[in-house]
Amino acid sequence: MGKSVIFNHLTGLHQHIGNWPGKTVERAEGTLHFKGRMIDVIDLPGIYSLSTFSIEELISREYIAVENPDLVINVVDASVLERNLFFTLQLMELETPIVVALNQMDMAKKKGIKIDCKKMEEILGVPVVPTVATSRAGIYELMQTSVDAVEKGVGTPTKIRYGKEVEVRIEKLSKMVSKLQLPYPARWAAIKLLEEDEQIEGRIGQLDPKTVSAARKLAEEIERIHGHSCSTVITSERYEIAGGIAREVQEIAPLRKLPMRERLHALTTHKILGYPVMVAVILSVFFAIFSFGDYTSQLLGTVFENVCSVYEGLFGTGILATLVWGGVIEGLIAGITIALPYLIPFYLVLYFLEDSGYLSRIAFLMDNLMHKIGLHGKAFIPAMLGFGCNVPACLGCRIMETERERFLATFVVTLVPCAATSVIILGLVGTYVGFEWALLLYVIDLLIIFVLGRIAFKVLPGEPTGLIMEMHDYRTPHLKTVLAQTWFRLKEFVIMAFPLIIAGSFIIKLVDVLGLLEPIADVLSPVTVVWLGLPAITGITLIFGVLRKELTLLMLATLFGTADFASVAGFGSVQMIVFTLVAMLYIPCVSTIAALVKEQGWRRALFITVFEIGFAIFVGGIAYRLLMLTGM
Amino acid sequence: MEKKLSELKPGERGVIVSIQALTRSHGHHRRRGWGFRRRLEDMGLTPGTRVMIVKSAPFHGPIEIHVRGSRLAIGRGMAERILVSVEN
Repeated sequence: MGKSVIFNHLTGLHQHIGNWPGKTVERAEGTLHFKGRMIDVIDLPGIYSLSTFSIEELISREYIAVENPDLVINVVDASVLERNLFFTLQLMELETPIVVALNQMDMAKKKGIKIDCKKMEEILGVPVVPTVATSRAGIYELMQTSVDAVEKGVGTPTKIRYGKEVEVRIEKLSKMVSKLQLPYPARWAAIKLLEEDEQIEGRIGQLDPKTVSAARKLAEEIERIHGHSCSTVITSERYEIAGGIAREVQEIAPLRKLPMRERLHALTTHKILGYPVMVAVILSVFFAIFSFGDYTSQLLGTVFENVCSVYEGLFGTGILATLVWGGVIEGLIAGITIALPYLIPFYLVLYFLEDSGYLSRIAFLMDNLMHKIGLHGKAFIPAMLGFGCNVPACLGCRIMETERERFLATFVVTLVPCAATSVIILGLVGTYVGFEWALLLYVIDLLIIFVLGRIAFKVLPGEPTGLIMEMHDYRTPHLKTVLAQTWFRLKEFVIMAFPLIIAGSFIIKLVDVLGLLEPIADVLSPVTVVWLGLPAITGITLIFGVLRKELTLLMLATLFGTADFASVAGFGSVQMIVFTLVAMLYIPCVSTIAALVKEQGWRRALFITVFEIGFAIFVGGIAYRLLMLTGM
Repeated sequence: MEKKLSELKPGERGVIVSIQALTRSHGHHRRRGWGFRRRLEDMGLTPGTRVMIVKSAPFHGPIEIHVRGSRLAIGRGMAERILVSVEN
C-alpha cells in the first residue's frame, strides 16, 4: 500500500496504466516534475524477493538489471523492518543505486518501534528517508534525496557478506562469471547461480555451460557442509543479516494495552465470529455496489432513451441512421450503462478493502473452501464479485500471485452466474417452471464450477501454490490514492474495452440490418433445434445475448411477440430449462470478453470463449435428453 | 520434540527444522518442489527461524503465525510440510 501512495505523490495526475509487454502484470508509469526536471517514474510490482517465484519478481529484476534505471526507490515498511530489509539487501546486491523510503513511520511508532535512520544509513551505505506517505510527510525530502543521489551520486552500498563457506565460493564463481558478457553484476549472478536460479542458469548456460556445472559443484559442497540446500543456506543467511540490521537500528518498547487494530484483527479472523462479520461486510459491499449500479444504470438508461428519440427525430430511422445508432451509439451506451455504474463502486470498494487489510483476512477465512476448486483464499473475492458482474470479477483476479492462478481464477469467475444471468434464471425458469428448478440451476452451475475448476487445476502446467501471505496491520486507507487508483484503472478499462464492445454491437446490428439474422438462425438450427430441442428463433436471441445476457430474455419476448412465455407453443418447461442452462454457460458477454482480453490477452480470452460455447451446447444437449427421459 | 507446523497448538512456539519438498510429482524434474520451498524461504521461513502459532482457521483452514516480527497466513497443506522442533 505504501508504494502506491508514494507513487501517487510523486506523479500526481501524470500517470499512465498499462501492462508489461506480453504479461498480465500491471505497469504504471508517471512523470514527476521537480525543480525544473522531468523525471520518469515507474511503479514496479510489489514483491518480497527477487527470485523467480512469480512473474512480478522476474519483471522487477529484469527491469532493474537490464534497463538500468537511474535510481530505485525502495519503499520499506518500517513496522515490519526485518522482512522488508531482506528485500533491500537483494536490491543492494543488484548494485543499482537505491534510496530507501522508510515508510509507515507512524505505524511503527504505534507499535512501539523506534528506528535510528542515521544508523541504518551508515550500515546499509544508502540514503534512508523516513516517510509517512499517507500524510505526505517526508515526500519532499524523498524527492530531493533521490535527485541528489542521481546527480551527485551515492556512495557504494555496503557489500553483504555471507558466512565463510558461502563467501569463498561466491568469490570463486564471480571470477568465472565476470569473464562473460552479462547485463548483471558478476557477484549477483554468481549468488543466483549458487541459488540455482533457473533463469540465470539458462542464460549463463548458453554462454558457458562450464560455469553452470562449476556452480552446481560449489552448491553441492555448501549443501554437504550445512546439511541444507545451497539456496536455503543463502536465503537463511540473508535473512540473518536483515534481522541483525533490524535489531541494531530499532528499539521496541512493549505495548501496554492491546491496540484497536489487534482487537479488530482478532475479531475478523475469529473461528466463529469472523464468519458473520465477513458475511455482513460482503453483503453490504454487494448492496452498495449493486444499488448504486442499478440506480445509476437505470438513470443513464432513461437519459439515453430520451437522447434516442431526439436522435430519431433528427436523423430519422433509415438504414444508415439505425446502423449508427443501433451499432455504434448503443454499444457505447451499453458500455456506459452496464460496465461503468458497477465498475466505479467496485474499484473503490476493492481498493478500500485491500488497502485496509481486510481482504487478506477474508482470504484467511475462505482459503479452505477455495482449495476445493484448486484455488486459494484470495480467489474468493473475485469469485463472489462474479455473482454481480463478471467484468469486475475478471479484473479482480489480478490479486492472485502467479500467472497460473490468475488464469485459473479468471476461468472460474466467468462461469459464475452474474446478475444478468440471474435475471434469466429467475425470470424464465423461476417464474414459469418453478423456483426449485431455478435453484437447481444454481446448484448445477456451482457443481460445474467445482468440477471444471478441479480439472483445470489438474491440467494446467506449473506448480500449484498454497496460500502464504502477510496479513499486515489494519490501517486506514489513503482516500486520495484509492480515488486515483480507481480513476486510472477506469480510464484504462474504457480505452481498452469500449472499442471492442462497440465493434461487437456494430457487427450484430449490421447482421440485423442486412436481414441475415434468420438465415443465421437457420444455419444454427442443427444445434438449436436438433441437438438442443429449442425453437429455431432462439438462435437469434442467443446471438444478441453476447451483447448483454439479459437481452436473450428481452429478445425472446420480442420475437415471440409476448412476454408470457407459458403461452408459447413449443416452448415448454424442458425448453425453458435448456435455454436458460445454455444462456447461463454459453459465452461471457462482450464486456466480459473485453475484460478477459485486457487481463489475459487474446489467445486465452478466445480459448475461454470458445470453450464455454462448446461446453454450454454440450451440457444443454445432455440436459435436453435427460429431461425428455423424465417425461416432463 | 519435532512436529509438523500444522500440528502445533495456538500459543505454541517452535524452531523450523526443515521444509519437505512436495511429494506429489509435477514433472520429473530435479527441481520438484523447488518453487514451493523457495517461496516459503523467501517469506522468511528458513531453517532455524523461530515461529509462534497464533491461531488456525476452522474446517482445516490456514494457520496464522508470527515470524520475524510479522504476521503470516499459511495454507494448511503448506504448513504440513514444515517441520519444527517445539519449544517448551
